[in-house]
Amino acid sequence: MAMNEKGLSRRRFLRLAAAGVGAAGAAGVLAACGGAATGGDAPAAEAPAEGNKAQVELTFWWWDAAGQIWADEYNKLGRGAKINFVNTPFADSHDKLLTSFASGTGAPDIASLEIGRVGGFTAKGGLLDLKAAPFDGGKYEADMVKYKWTQGSTADGRLVAMPWDIGPAGVWYRTDIFEKLGLPTEPEAVEELISHTKGKTWEDFFALAQQVKEKSGGATKLVADAGTDVYGGALRQGGEGYFDGMKVMIEEKATRPAQLAADFRKQELDANIGWWGADWSAGVKNDAFAGMVIACWMQGGLSRDEAQLNGKWRIVPAPEASYNWGGSFCAIPEQCKNQELAWDFVQWACCSAEGQNAMFKPTGVFPAYKPAWADPLYDEPVEFFGGQRAFRMWANIADNVASIVRSPYDLQADDIVNAEVTKVLKEGKDPVQAMKDAEAEAIKAIEGAQP
Amino acid sequence: MAATTFTSAERKAQDRRTRRKEAKRNAWAYVFVSPFYILYAVFGLFPLLYGIWLSFHQWDGISPMQWVGLSNYVKLFTADEIWWQAIYNTIWLFFGATTPQLIVALILAFIINSGYIRFKDFFRAAYFMPIVASSVAVGILFTSLFGLQYGMLNYALSALDLSPYLTTSEGCVTWAIKTNDLGCAIDWLGSAAWLKPSIASVTVWQWTGYSMIIFLAGLQSINPELYEAARVDGASTTDIFLGITMPLMRPIILFQVVTSIIGAMQNFDIPVMLAGGTQSSAPGGTDRAGLTAMMQLYWSAFKYNTGSKSGFGYASAMSFVIFFMIVVFSYSYNAARGRNLTED
Repeated sequence: MAMNEKGLSRRRFLRLAAAGVGAAGAAGVLAACGGAATGGDAPAAEAPAEGNKAQVELTFWWWDAAGQIWADEYNKLGRGAKINFVNTPFADSHDKLLTSFASGTGAPDIASLEIGRVGGFTAKGGLLDLKAAPFDGGKYEADMVKYKWTQGSTADGRLVAMPWDIGPAGVWYRTDIFEKLGLPTEPEAVEELISHTKGKTWEDFFALAQQVKEKSGGATKLVADAGTDVYGGALRQGGEGYFDGMKVMIEEKATRPAQLAADFRKQELDANIGWWGADWSAGVKNDAFAGMVIACWMQGGLSRDEAQLNGKWRIVPAPEASYNWGGSFCAIPEQCKNQELAWDFVQWACCSAEGQNAMFKPTGVFPAYKPAWADPLYDEPVEFFGGQRAFRMWANIADNVASIVRSPYDLQADDIVNAEVTKVLKEGKDPVQAMKDAEAEAIKAIEGAQP
Repeated sequence: MAATTFTSAERKAQDRRTRRKEAKRNAWAYVFVSPFYILYAVFGLFPLLYGIWLSFHQWDGISPMQWVGLSNYVKLFTADEIWWQAIYNTIWLFFGATTPQLIVALILAFIINSGYIRFKDFFRAAYFMPIVASSVAVGILFTSLFGLQYGMLNYALSALDLSPYLTTSEGCVTWAIKTNDLGCAIDWLGSAAWLKPSIASVTVWQWTGYSMIIFLAGLQSINPELYEAARVDGASTTDIFLGITMPLMRPIILFQVVTSIIGAMQNFDIPVMLAGGTQSSAPGGTDRAGLTAMMQLYWSAFKYNTGSKSGFGYASAMSFVIFFMIVVFSYSYNAARGRNLTED
């Protein structure tokens, strides 16, 4: 976390010091916000003569190394605070935050919440209302993707999580494999085959998968895993999540997606390679699958881990409907004592085209802040997508997705349903029965709980 | 001795006085050992007592705590099938991993101690190495080893051409999957049947060296004259092993079994690395076959957190069930051996 301490230039420090002589006393108080975790000795070491003016340091947690991009960009601006980015691995980032709430200490000044976990935090305390003084977050409502705003708000209308990014999703495919198999490679042509924008459905997607399988002699499939690519997509087309308030909607929402995935697997149209593991990476390198059905944020990891494929990916809208997968929020925990400076960072990062696009351009983390999409950047050809104007396509998809309702039980329901989907795909369990069982189990798991 | 007689009350008063005097004389000694007790109170005793207190509440960590009496325990024992499945898995993994681990470790230690081989130090260090490796590194190594389509193990097994044995008239058997290059291949981490043996084998790999070192220390404490005397009497190596080594190693074996019970009941990192679930799969893998009690506890406390069968209170209740199971298992092993731990 001290990574950037020496990055503070002397000139910048002097400028800050000059601007803030009057605030020097206040700064001493404000500096407490960073807590013990942020040793504020860098300024002192650089310019001892300036006296006791210490720069305010704010801790920002996110689960991707790319968080440093925001910290660097923001720190360059010299807007008052220095952001210390801490990379908190996704597996335990939210758990750490929860622990810091439970123990009353150790929370960051700016926290990140993922869409799957946000319901658990908005239902409780621990986070500040960004619409109440000293904040004025209400003014951004019209600028944000609508459902995202609702997700970040509590039942009584407080905004505790500022929308950050969304996950417009579609079908990705590799031109090198499509070309080898004699399939069309231009996005316009592929869109004709499978995209909802051309009135195509999952049936057409199955047909394309069949073609890939036949033309490659079974060596290459269209996607890696029916569970993630087909079920994951089809489910989210009805809006991510399994709840409507306290009502469990698993049977209603998940049965058809599970049936689709089961058929896909039965016809051996997927490569049967689980996502997010060593086999998946090996599958990419071995051309075991020619595409995937996933959201825009996949660009960040892929461009780093499978750089040999940069320029070969293209995207088209999904069959049947556009949808969203994932996305995050920024929040300011109650434990932050320097709320004004934290709010300044959140506004710059989440509610300005400059901050949002600084993150979006290199990583594909797509802004929920709609004015950011007006940037000329979105109409430029994207090198990663071989010159396709992919960013505009994401924006179009983002504007047309079903709204998503979050609940505090999301993660639990996800795991209950995923366990049943695994049984369907691995053991051939009947998808209708599986989703019935999942619904019953989910109802049991949340019964008697306080909402 | 017989000159003065005390009534029991007088004797007690005398004892108290002596103790008090002792304490006074040793006051400084208590001050010097106090850091341990203070640290223990803060980091050991307080969390323990607080955990008991928590287990009678429903608490998500943020909202106010809600007193629910024994209801967490009642739910745990009567209405939580997943929990009992996790307990079953944990016990399975204890037997599945500890039995081969201790047997192999004892044999290895005996061989290394026997004087038949050279480079003892090298072997000792080599067998101990896995325990030094971080769980994350081990997890990554073994997930690629156990990979289905591109795993090293399946490639190695393809030399044996197992595919015909894994194939039925309708495709592959339930715990194998058709792959491009290998025909039907065993789905080590993806099938309910193989997940537990896979996890157990990693535990064995990681902990055998550690057990071996402890056994070796025990073997070296056995008086070599006993071996020599047995040799003179014409005993074979097997006789020596069963007649001298094993009986004298009893306390060491007991120690190993008890620590293994404690470790196995808290089995967490390896199962999480191999079957921790992803965005599109649940923790514990297919049929939750790799879900251990500790995993379910962690998920209940930190991930699910909100439901009636989750949260910090419910998870605390789980932890006390695990605690009592450790006590019961350790005690019953002890009892079955017919001796008390302290006597050994």
